[in-house]
Amino acid sequence: MNKSQKKTLEANDIHVDFGGIKALGGVTLTLNSGDVLGLIGPNGAGKTTMVNVLSGFQKPKPGWVKVDGEDVSTLSARKMAQVGIARSFQAARLFRGLTVLQNLVIAGLGIGMSSKAATKQARDILDWMGYRGGHDRQCSALPYSDERRISIARALALQPSFALLDEPASGMNEEECEHLMETIVNIPKHFGCGVMLIEHNMQVIMGVCNRIHVLDGGKSLAEGTPEEVKKDPNVLRAYLGEKNTRDDAVI
Amino acid sequence: MTYFIQVLIDAISLGSLYALVALAIGLVFGVMRLINFAQADYITIGAYSLVIPTASITPPLLLGALPAVAMVISVVAVVTVLALLTERLAFRPLRSSDPTTLLISSFAVSYFLQSLIILVHGGRPKTVSIGDSLTGAVEMLGVRIPGVQLLTMAVALTLLICLVLFLKKTPMGVQLRAAAEDFQMARLLGVPANKVIAIAFAISGLLGGTISLLFVVQTGTLDIKIGMMPTVYAFFATVIGGIGSLPGAVLGGYIVGIISVLLQSYLPEEMRAFRDAGVFSLVILILLMRPQGLLATKASKERV
Amino acid sequence: MMRVFERYFPVIALIAPLLIIVFVIQQTGSSNVRYVATEALLRLSFAVALYIFAGNSGIMSFGHMTFCAIAAYASAWQTCCTLLKPITMSGLPSFLRDNTFSLLPAALNSIGLAGAAAFLSGLVLMRLSSLGASISTLALMFILNVVYSNWTSVTMGKSTIVGLPVYVSIWVALGFAILLIIIAYLYQNSRWGLMLRATREDEVAASASGVSLYWSRVIAFTLSGFGAGLAGVLYAHFMGTVSISTFFLDQTFLIVAMLVVGGMQSLAGAVVGVTFISVVIEVFRRAEAGFAVGGMDMSIPRGSQELILAAVMLLILIFRKSGIMGGREIAWPWLKKDLGKRDAKARGSKQTDPSSPLAQGSAKA
Repeated sequence: MNKSQKKTLEANDIHVDFGGIKALGGVTLTLNSGDVLGLIGPNGAGKTTMVNVLSGFQKPKPGWVKVDGEDVSTLSARKMAQVGIARSFQAARLFRGLTVLQNLVIAGLGIGMSSKAATKQARDILDWMGYRGGHDRQCSALPYSDERRISIARALALQPSFALLDEPASGMNEEECEHLMETIVNIPKHFGCGVMLIEHNMQVIMGVCNRIHVLDGGKSLAEGTPEEVKKDPNVLRAYLGEKNTRDDAVI
Repeated sequence: MTYFIQVLIDAISLGSLYALVALAIGLVFGVMRLINFAQADYITIGAYSLVIPTASITPPLLLGALPAVAMVISVVAVVTVLALLTERLAFRPLRSSDPTTLLISSFAVSYFLQSLIILVHGGRPKTVSIGDSLTGAVEMLGVRIPGVQLLTMAVALTLLICLVLFLKKTPMGVQLRAAAEDFQMARLLGVPANKVIAIAFAISGLLGGTISLLFVVQTGTLDIKIGMMPTVYAFFATVIGGIGSLPGAVLGGYIVGIISVLLQSYLPEEMRAFRDAGVFSLVILILLMRPQGLLATKASKERV
Repeated sequence: MMRVFERYFPVIALIAPLLIIVFVIQQTGSSNVRYVATEALLRLSFAVALYIFAGNSGIMSFGHMTFCAIAAYASAWQTCCTLLKPITMSGLPSFLRDNTFSLLPAALNSIGLAGAAAFLSGLVLMRLSSLGASISTLALMFILNVVYSNWTSVTMGKSTIVGLPVYVSIWVALGFAILLIIIAYLYQNSRWGLMLRATREDEVAASASGVSLYWSRVIAFTLSGFGAGLAGVLYAHFMGTVSISTFFLDQTFLIVAMLVVGGMQSLAGAVVGVTFISVVIEVFRRAEAGFAVGGMDMSIPRGSQELILAAVMLLILIFRKSGIMGGREIAWPWLKKDLGKRDAKARGSKQTDPSSPLAQGSAKA
């Protein structure tokens, strides 16, 4: 599970047009193994669309996405998962009729592992995450915060080079957020991958990211370390008039 | 040449019929994501309402005994009420279900209605004669056209045009069309869900009733499966036209009707019986080349 | 040993009662009851075969009878009517028309043919969306129906082929039903079965987890087609006759109703649904035939059986969508206690747990 290879995920000049609505108007960003990159911006800035592009659910037009120099812009979502780009969903999207363990095992099967190996990996990840709820618990019976943690675990079960996490902290209380932050910070160390984190919760972002990329209205506004971004006048202007406390988590 | 004109008229006639049924199915699908197998039974029940329930194969007429205009209105009314009832009782409670559940439930409603007909009328085909004056043929453009077919064509085209005008020009129609093409958006814009769904069903009932009359006049028989074939053709028409697209449903209906008639007319004698198989195969072929249908809408893609 | 028993409990819990019921019927029942029970077991085979695809994928195949029909006719061509075939089915190729084959190879060939048909049609149909695929399976059944109804030189058209050797007794029917149940259980817990179930739960998340919607569906459809073929062969050699009208909408509706009532998403649901509805049907059949109540002869009108069945199906869909079994398998009753123990053990040591809990299905938590 530990990858010693350093990989790079590059997205260049990404444009996405929804019949007149420009979701993304030329965004360029890079994610490296070991990084935790935060992707923030007001509602409608294009964050989820960006994740969709990077994970194969949306094709950029124009623009490209490359993994270590290899163009993956046109790969399907499934192929992207197999190439090493994993994502979690804003709505968790767990396989509700299946157990927690089965959810992770399926991800392992999806990248071609044997049932035995996939099961062992699943248990290992759940243990690493400190999940105490019972591996054979049905996902439809999970509390909300566990749902989000399991969806992250499932993404990690894909042995990704890059894990894109879409608003994992939304709806979590302070204690749950702390635990989440601990988990996220440890992902690059344990799994050797790069993490891109979309979040509205600024405490989480500032606490785990080593770099932050700011989007607004489909365009890049700023990029830099948390300190740099915090002081950036453009960023402050974009957020002016908008409460961005922890409570602003649910869209 | 005359043969070709005959074929052309047949094709337009049948195509219009299928387009009407496909539109009924498409409307209901658009507002509810429900493929209504029961549409077949709306047609069948409309036809059977013409006679008194007896075990006889030459039953006395019920609604069929009324003078023409009253007969038409009453049959259409019966079917429309039926359609609204099925919506209220069977489909409304299932409104937010997944597509497979909806599909199965319409299958169940269809079977229920069919069993009801068998219970009340018996399962054997019956003969009915209505509209005798139309059995004569009319000479036009050097071709002999049966009066019945002229009527079918005229009625179908008129209804189609009226429906299109309704959907495009009237406020209710525009709301219905918006809801059929993007239900969520329409609701957000304040279109009343219950009303719109009820109207979609009412229209499908109206179309079902009209079509049942045309069939009975044309064939003179009542069969429990009378509504099945056109409805089955109509499903496939909706699917190849593009699920969720109303113009697609109409287009699909014409394609299916025209191909059906062409195969019927130009296939060698021994192959004619396989005409239906040919149409269905073509449906699968078209779906393969364009899985989302010929005129797909964006409403068919799921948001991630 | 205990481990194995626990793991396969859901399937043992289905097979054991069936064995017991059939044993009791064989000992005490009239030949009529035995006939009805055999018929029910054959329906069970078809229902389980259909479940293999529809239950695990969430896509209903309305046209699965196609594969039954293909296998039934194929077996008829090979095993029936040695003297009459050259006359009634003159269009058959000479190796079929002029020969009769023994039962086992004939059955295997027929099932193979059905499976091949399922594979080829699956390759085509699974490219479509779930709704498009469902409707296209219906188209498939219509196509076969039209072709077989009219290809009189090969299938005798709408006429019934009679004279097939009858070898399906109640025990044969039971044996094969059990075989299919075991296959279904093994499949749904295999890698492909599990991935397919993921696509049923959430197509988008499944794709994002590297699962191929297309291949998982094609594989299930093919396996399911083999199963339906088996059911078709058994049915043909139970009735001794083959007729295209039996493999059409009426039978399809019945089986779909059974799956819905029992619960389409679990194997237990399929078995329970078939059993329950078969009993209900039999009760109705007797009621329609007439029975004596306090010296009076009564009967309910013909056709009420289908009506009530359809109504029940609708009620279930409205009020308990997941059917009687609720999409769950029959779980080992002590499972809950064991869950805690096993998890504690797993957390304590990092050793691999040899018995894969994949096999637990959706156990009650």
